[in-house]
Amino acid sequence: MPIIKAEHLKYRYPNTEKLALNDISLEIEKGEFIGIAGRNGAGKSSLGQAINGLVPRFYNGAYGGRVEVNGRVVEETPVEEMCEFVGLIFQNPFNQLSGAAETVFNEVAYGLQNLGTEPEIILSRVEQVLKRLDIWQYRDRNPFELSGGQMQRVAIASILCMEPDIIILDEPTSQLDPQGTEEVFRVVDDLTETGITIIMIEQKLEKLAHYADRIILMSEGRVIDFDTPEKIFSRDDLSEYGIKAPAFTRICREYGLSLPDGTYPVKLEDTKRLFQEKNIRPLKEAETGSCLLNSKADDTEELFRMDNVDFYYTEGTPIFQKLSLTLNNRPTAIIGQNGAGKTTLVRLLKGLLKPVGGSIYFKNDDISKKTVAMLADKVGYVFQNPDDQIFKYNVLDETMFGPLNIGMSEEKAKEEALKALELMGLKGRENVNPYDLELYERKMTAIASVVAMDTDVIILDEPTIAQDYEGRKLIGDMIRHLSSEGKLVIAILHDMDFVEENFERVIVMAHGRILSEGSAEKVFSEDEVLSEAKLQKPYITALRELLGA
Amino acid sequence: MSALSLYVDKGSFLNKLHPYTKLLYVFAAILIPLIGGRLLIFPLTILFSLILLLTGRVFRRALPLVAFSFTLIIVIFLIQGLFYHKNENPLFNIRILTFYREGVIYAAGIALNILNMLLSFAVFVLTTAPQDLVEEMEKNGFSPKFGYVINSVFQIVPQMMKTRDTIVDAQRSRGMETEGSLFTRIRAFLPLISPVVMSALINTRERAIALEVRGFGRRNKRSYITDRKKSSADIVISIILAALILAVSVWRILSCLS
Amino acid sequence: MSNIFKTKLNAATIVLIPACIGINYLGKLFAQFLKLPLWLDCIGTCIGAALGGPVIGGICGAVNNIIYGLTTGDNISLVYALTSLGIGIAVGITARLGFMETFPKSFVCALAGGLAAVIISTPLNVMFWGGTTGNVWGDALFAVTQANGMPVVVGSFLDELVVDVPDKILTVIIAFLILKGLPAKLKALYDVNAEIERLD
Repeated sequence: MPIIKAEHLKYRYPNTEKLALNDISLEIEKGEFIGIAGRNGAGKSSLGQAINGLVPRFYNGAYGGRVEVNGRVVEETPVEEMCEFVGLIFQNPFNQLSGAAETVFNEVAYGLQNLGTEPEIILSRVEQVLKRLDIWQYRDRNPFELSGGQMQRVAIASILCMEPDIIILDEPTSQLDPQGTEEVFRVVDDLTETGITIIMIEQKLEKLAHYADRIILMSEGRVIDFDTPEKIFSRDDLSEYGIKAPAFTRICREYGLSLPDGTYPVKLEDTKRLFQEKNIRPLKEAETGSCLLNSKADDTEELFRMDNVDFYYTEGTPIFQKLSLTLNNRPTAIIGQNGAGKTTLVRLLKGLLKPVGGSIYFKNDDISKKTVAMLADKVGYVFQNPDDQIFKYNVLDETMFGPLNIGMSEEKAKEEALKALELMGLKGRENVNPYDLELYERKMTAIASVVAMDTDVIILDEPTIAQDYEGRKLIGDMIRHLSSEGKLVIAILHDMDFVEENFERVIVMAHGRILSEGSAEKVFSEDEVLSEAKLQKPYITALRELLGA
Repeated sequence: MSALSLYVDKGSFLNKLHPYTKLLYVFAAILIPLIGGRLLIFPLTILFSLILLLTGRVFRRALPLVAFSFTLIIVIFLIQGLFYHKNENPLFNIRILTFYREGVIYAAGIALNILNMLLSFAVFVLTTAPQDLVEEMEKNGFSPKFGYVINSVFQIVPQMMKTRDTIVDAQRSRGMETEGSLFTRIRAFLPLISPVVMSALINTRERAIALEVRGFGRRNKRSYITDRKKSSADIVISIILAALILAVSVWRILSCLS
Repeated sequence: MSNIFKTKLNAATIVLIPACIGINYLGKLFAQFLKLPLWLDCIGTCIGAALGGPVIGGICGAVNNIIYGLTTGDNISLVYALTSLGIGIAVGITARLGFMETFPKSFVCALAGGLAAVIISTPLNVMFWGGTTGNVWGDALFAVTQANGMPVVVGSFLDELVVDVPDKILTVIIAFLILKGLPAKLKALYDVNAEIERLD
């Protein structure tokens, strides 16, 4: 008997007209690892939440069909009872902390306390789970003070110790840095060993393909296909559903290496074997370099110059010592682990922080003598979290706020705003309340609101977080577009594949120092620098090297 | 800065007492002088609270709390000393201002009461983890939902406060002025408060989900993993405090009758 | 009419309370940052009241002051938990009666909040501090009334009136502007009359 059975499931959120889930029927067996793929907004999370009962019991709205989990009818079971069988972990690690506990230990115990489990059992289970997820050493820490990856593991521990039969992982790494992502995937590795039924929604399709027994491909609230990863990712129409096949599948397709059943491999082992069997070596960097063609960037014009800049937040713990750097209008990515000094660097450039020693020049003007407001029309800065800035009632007004502040006329501001919104894929959404948009669209709104200010320089802090394939492509196009207008785009990024595809200059930072800089090709070939900065190569580069390029 | 709470675990005698015992102390210290009705009782309870704060090694942390109340106390002395409606007998003059005896005594009563309340309360607040109190109350039938409200405020509010500087920077980056005329500053208020309010409210949806999937609001009885038994010290102290309140009450009633 | 006090005590409304208290704190913080001559420290209470109803509003207000007392060791503000409770209830009732729907209507809501503050605070001021409020302008006015031999209650009432009413009016207006911008998706979570509709 299937552990999950959906029959003609339909669902519509309150105050909306479109069906979020449209006539879904499927069966999932106990112990299966199921992946859900599709673009942002395809209904993946809604489907996940229809399994633990949040849809419809938490949101209300309109519901049709029937879902049975473990023999229970989901619609008729309160979520607080369903949680004994189905655990849910979602994107934002911070919002998953209950807020009720001042230590990691108590946070993880919180669910079991609600279930009324015997205290002795709680103590032993929490200890066991914390040790298993390698967070036992943080048990007395305040959960809010942990890093994203640690917080996310606390969230997983909180669910695991309740011992559900099914776990839903809804893009658990989409808001984490590479290290946190790594930490969480190690936990997922461990979970697959236990034989628990797992449903995972994920944009990192290499990972999804690696784990999943079967994959549900969704689009516009419907299930397009439900089959093995090989079958799903060998489909020719994937781009129609807003996804890009895993690197392994792409490279095998490129060289025409298919499995006996005609599908392309989705896993590293199969890919390696096929390449070895056919004795083929892939070309190096075949896919990169496309961006260089479009850019009219001029190597000579210097925009920023940092001369021997010293900086610290608290005296005695220097962040930068005698840091020197010049930037011209080549699109520049800054990479490095958390704490390397990336954000501090761009905040100095923006004038939000003032150097303690040395000077920073923008077009030969010393900016330490200028206020943030004076620089506002020259240097734009998109903060990481769009919710730190959005406050207007509609997307257009939000986008016009900056331009109006720096003295553009109403007309000009509107023109620039509309242009920026079109660039960020928000055409037609001008009158929508920004907070009715999803996070990934709010990020686009925030970017547009800075692009519209028509500044010479645009700084982006982690623009690709929470974006799917299409969103990342849109941001890449935006970078090329601005660059072709002669603007300098600087971005802090953790996504190495994106860096390789879209930037002409890469700066590697660690411990407040610049370890290396140059073209993406050069930087990603410097193994020592990358290992000192604790960075990984872009997926496809690493794969080509592994295959013998 | 991790928490809103002023509590620090110094491993002191006061830290080890049961939250209820300390709460009873606050009641006793506030009620005894009020029931007693004599100004002279205040210095006694104030002194006792000071001794407790010293022995609990939290005296220094109590100072800012007291300093905070001084402006209020000064205003009370000024206004009541000068204008109290029963003022009759001048006490002293500062230039053209005449302070009256009745007003100054009345103000002294209020000021001592404020100090006494603050200090006795400090004894409790500085030595008790709010979560401990909430948990004890829950065990005695206080709703776990409200328990959650109180606990979560301590965790969530500091996180929200942290966003202040980021929002200021984000809006200034878009050319917004935060200084200048009153009108400019009032206009800046909405762009500053709105993002945090919106994101806080939006986050409530996810946090509510996080709670629901962990069995929040189930009808069964919650279980608790820490067992705080009242020690014999707790019992002795509670009896003494109750006896003192009783004694003062009896004394006051007798002195009123006679 | 019985609907006015209807309250859902589910996870969604419960987590609203700490968020609203955080908003209170931040309102105060930003008012200080911008050096505004106002407190603006109960915006969250008003939002909670408008979304969750008078009961949630009252809880937001009362818990706000209790926590403030517990965290600053300032038990003076504990006393005013009653005032905040009153503001939350008054705003909650008027909001449920529809006075948060349009900008002009929100002034009724603002006035209700301001009056609740004055009516509850005045006796507390008189009982505990002999009539003063701790606000310079208000207390100056109080001093004038006392110098002119007016009763303490009248002086204290005027003291509170000039301090609280403008502050609460602005607070409710800000709350109104914020609520207007709340996404429909979120508002639906607090709808007390929501039911699941069947699609088949």
